[in-house]
Amino acid sequence: MDDGFAEYVAHRHLRLCRMAYLLTRDWGTAEDVVQTALAKAWLAWRRIEGNPDPYVYRIIVNTHASWWRRRWRGEVPAATLPETADLRDPAAEVDDQAALWSAIGTLSPRQRAVIVLHYFEGRTLAQVAEIVGCSLGAVKSQLSRALTRLRVDPDIQSMTLEGVQR
Amino acid sequence: MSYNESDLRELLNEHGHGRAGREPSARLDAIVRRGRRIRRTRRAVTAGTALAFAAVAAAGLTGLLPAGAQRGEGAAVAQQPVDSARVTPGPELDDTMKVALGAKKFDLHLIHSQRFETVGGMQKVTFTPTSVYTGDKVVCDDPRAWVVIQYRGNGPEPIGSRGRCEGSIGGHNDELSVPSDWLKRPQSMQIWVFPGDAPVREVAEAVNGCRPRMKGKDCDEVAQSVALGNPEVRRRLSALVGEQPSRWAVGIYDRPAPSASAVPTGGPSVAPTATVVPTGGPTVAPTASAVPTGGPTVAPTATAVPTGGPAAEPTAAVTASPTAPTP
Repeated sequence: MDDGFAEYVAHRHLRLCRMAYLLTRDWGTAEDVVQTALAKAWLAWRRIEGNPDPYVYRIIVNTHASWWRRRWRGEVPAATLPETADLRDPAAEVDDQAALWSAIGTLSPRQRAVIVLHYFEGRTLAQVAEIVGCSLGAVKSQLSRALTRLRVDPDIQSMTLEGVQR
Repeated sequence: MSYNESDLRELLNEHGHGRAGREPSARLDAIVRRGRRIRRTRRAVTAGTALAFAAVAAAGLTGLLPAGAQRGEGAAVAQQPVDSARVTPGPELDDTMKVALGAKKFDLHLIHSQRFETVGGMQKVTFTPTSVYTGDKVVCDDPRAWVVIQYRGNGPEPIGSRGRCEGSIGGHNDELSVPSDWLKRPQSMQIWVFPGDAPVREVAEAVNGCRPRMKGKDCDEVAQSVALGNPEVRRRLSALVGEQPSRWAVGIYDRPAPSASAVPTGGPSVAPTATVVPTGGPTVAPTASAVPTGGPTVAPTATAVPTGGPAAEPTAAVTASPTAPTP
């Protein structure tokens, strides 16, 4: 029945979940999004030509955006601080990363998708444009705005200054 | 240190790979099951949309039938596709609305109804009243859902009902409550339904302090109902809760039309063809029914209450305005 679908799921499921987690910031939701995306892909599997990744990524991005519009957004989600290896100043490093991770959470679903697809999945901007279904120019614009927003975030700015002083 | 693209890449990699505990496992059977469920839903919605169109067409045909046939076999044939068009069972509307005026009682009959699959936004319903006693009723799957019904009354402020759905909510009019052109043209009402857990109190307090209705009382449910008459409260609530799946239906009730052949089913009911994707907007399954003849002639008193808010916000021109889905 699968024509390689089962094999695709076995090989790509974990990676898709990781990508979806970066969009949703919740593992449970990420798994749910991926399962929905794969279920939709299963319906169209025989019609997909070539690499199914862009098709599946597109469903994940759209499903996330759709769910994001529905859910309560009164609060900006913040995950638990990760434990990192010892660097020059572990506490400051954790703070910096937490601030950046938190700032990514404030991006719009489209901007977050562009960031994740480009910097985590390593997709070119043209491929990102194909996945999110807009022009290359629009993707560049979204990416530029997202990076600008991350850099002007007050938390990041203050910590960057502290980092320079150190 | 300063942030650059490498930092961003590193951070995403750390978070993407940094899950504590079990790794997500691929359950192929669950995926396939969900796929089959999606396919069934799509097919049902597609079939439902087609049948909804058939129902509208059939309802139009009933106007051509003799009066006797509408109450008998003809009416049953016309209504059959309506029931078939329901994708899933939702809250049921009564066929009649009972009106009690002292010792005298009579029924208003269902002349128009529409079903919706989502809450969190505004829907506009258009109908053609057949008397000044037109009634309305909203029924919900979620009895705790907040409902606001608004339409033009015989005054500068809109009239209608507000409060928890609690099974059903609505009211009826009389010659004093309706505008002078009530029977001259199709009328419309705007309906907002919000989830039962919508933060009405918080939004009301943020907008106008949610003033209690009685001295010494907190911002109770009555005060929250009053606050829902404020367009700004509704606008903020809609933005906060977004569109959420929850079924509800609205019924318009009225006295029989003067002419037995008239079928006052209101304006064109829109059955969206582009919303067959399960994640889409509300599915509108218009139901039209033949109007029974006969009935008492007692003039009821009005139960419609002024909603206290300013004039209703501008709305789309279509009867039901489903939002575009994102697959």
